[in-house]
Amino acid sequence: MKRREIVGALERNRSKWGWAFVAPGLVFFSVFSFYPMLNAIWTSFFNKRLLSLKKPVFIGLQNYQKVLGSEDFWNSARATATFTVGVFVPLFIMSLLFAALITNMKRGKRFAQAALYSPAVLSSVVAALIWLLMLDPRGLANQFVNWISMTPGIDHQWLSSATMVQVSTMIVYVWKYLGYFTILFVTGIGKIPDSVNEAALMDGAGPIRRFFSITLPLLRPTTVLVSVMILIQCMKTFSTQYLFTQSGAPLAPINVITLNIYNTAMRDLNIGRASVMSTLLFLLMLGLTWIQLRTSRNSEADL
Amino acid sequence: MMRKYRETVGSISGTIVLAIACALVLVPLVFMLGSSFMPAIDIMKMPYRWIPEVWKPGNYLRALAGNDGSWMYLRNILNSVLVSTSIAVSTVLLSSLVGYGLAKFRFRGRNAVFMAIMGTMMIPFETIMIPLYLIAVKAGMQNSYAGLIVPFLMNAFGVFIMRQYLITFPDEMLDAARIDGCSEPRIFWDIVFRNAGPAAATLAVLSFRQQWDNLLWPLLIAQDEQMKTIPAYIVKFAAEKHADEGAMMAVAVIASVPVFVLFFSLSKYFLGGSAVYQAGKE
Repeated sequence: MKRREIVGALERNRSKWGWAFVAPGLVFFSVFSFYPMLNAIWTSFFNKRLLSLKKPVFIGLQNYQKVLGSEDFWNSARATATFTVGVFVPLFIMSLLFAALITNMKRGKRFAQAALYSPAVLSSVVAALIWLLMLDPRGLANQFVNWISMTPGIDHQWLSSATMVQVSTMIVYVWKYLGYFTILFVTGIGKIPDSVNEAALMDGAGPIRRFFSITLPLLRPTTVLVSVMILIQCMKTFSTQYLFTQSGAPLAPINVITLNIYNTAMRDLNIGRASVMSTLLFLLMLGLTWIQLRTSRNSEADL
Repeated sequence: MMRKYRETVGSISGTIVLAIACALVLVPLVFMLGSSFMPAIDIMKMPYRWIPEVWKPGNYLRALAGNDGSWMYLRNILNSVLVSTSIAVSTVLLSSLVGYGLAKFRFRGRNAVFMAIMGTMMIPFETIMIPLYLIAVKAGMQNSYAGLIVPFLMNAFGVFIMRQYLITFPDEMLDAARIDGCSEPRIFWDIVFRNAGPAAATLAVLSFRQQWDNLLWPLLIAQDEQMKTIPAYIVKFAAEKHADEGAMMAVAVIASVPVFVLFFSLSKYFLGGSAVYQAGKE
């Protein structure tokens, strides 16, 4: 009887300490994540302006109507979607290909990974700045492309034509994140048991056949994880587009959603409408992150 | 025999493709480094010379002094170092505290707390930046280190990493310390935190790197030149009318050296299995 009381008191004491340890987290995330999140949703129903002394007026869904009815918003949605697809396809294919090649290499694996990964270490702004100079009309990009296609003296307008400036932002992104996702794939492939591959080798399957019939299906948890990560990254892209537009590139083709939110709030001072776009972005991310969490939990169980 | 031959050819051509890819990926880095020592006119010369013909180390002086000679970059670098370091330290400290609480104590509502904290990962920063900005303005944190640091004191990813790591920490050691009469804060500090090495180091580097890269928030909260961090300085420097291309690349090199040193001195954590991925498994 006495013993049980002591154990009970200990348990209570322990649970008190548990709360004490997590308390800083609860306070922090309440103030800096949950409150601002609810506030963003709440504000999206108000006519609120930055720096204005007038009390915000409740206007129901009018902000949503305005945003969803505006060409500017759909332009941003298109710009973001174009960017996302334009980055996703090459980035996914190339990182998977390079990961497969690295896995098959006998020597130099570490060097290849380090080389491909090195741009990922740079700040996004630095990455964009390097490319800003290389994409200059007199820059390296024109020289290189003209050398390959043997068309000397042509300016490809990397930073001025609407399509090309979109392509340019995609190049910066693919270049920067290629190594990061390659390493994720290398790790994923490394987890596939050797015995499976050896069995296929015995059966006489060639390297390409082995890749498509064995590696790819067994790699599914990683491919889903990488896909979602790329999508999330792309939809949040900001630095490259911001630096390019600040340095004189046309805004409309690369006015991605985050850039639009920033400008709507800080330049047009329209907090209400910026909040609408924030809320829509959140809902989109929510779906994607949910998939990511689910698959990463499943892959833990699998491997 | 034929198969073996074909496989060798395949593996050689694979290596060649990879070598070309690596070379192409490294081109912009070589360009950055080389151009940072060139006069602007040589950077845009056709054909481009990879090794500077005329060396101009003065680019670095220009980069630090700025176009107006205010030496603002020095101050902004200092800001970045201070902000990123503080955030790295606090992230590790607070995340281990909370992670420890979630990993080693049983209490009612623990799972709810864990899920709630993990849930914040689904909130993109871009969504909450404006409310955060309004809060910070109300708290008078504009153009202050507090404003740059406080919203990033810890993050859900850090809590996750530390929890996963500390779950495997032997309970016997904790109980032994308790029997010896060690207080709970002492146990955390002297036993748990001291042994959180690898996970803490990874988390510290990742947090440092993330803040070093942060542009959006400093853009909002630190509009004062004095309080800008490196990324915001770079955008301003590059957009100026008389910006010198060589100096731009010098600015870029200076901004990159710390993170390169940090990453490649700790490369065993990041290559051959990225830390992020490592953190995802128990």
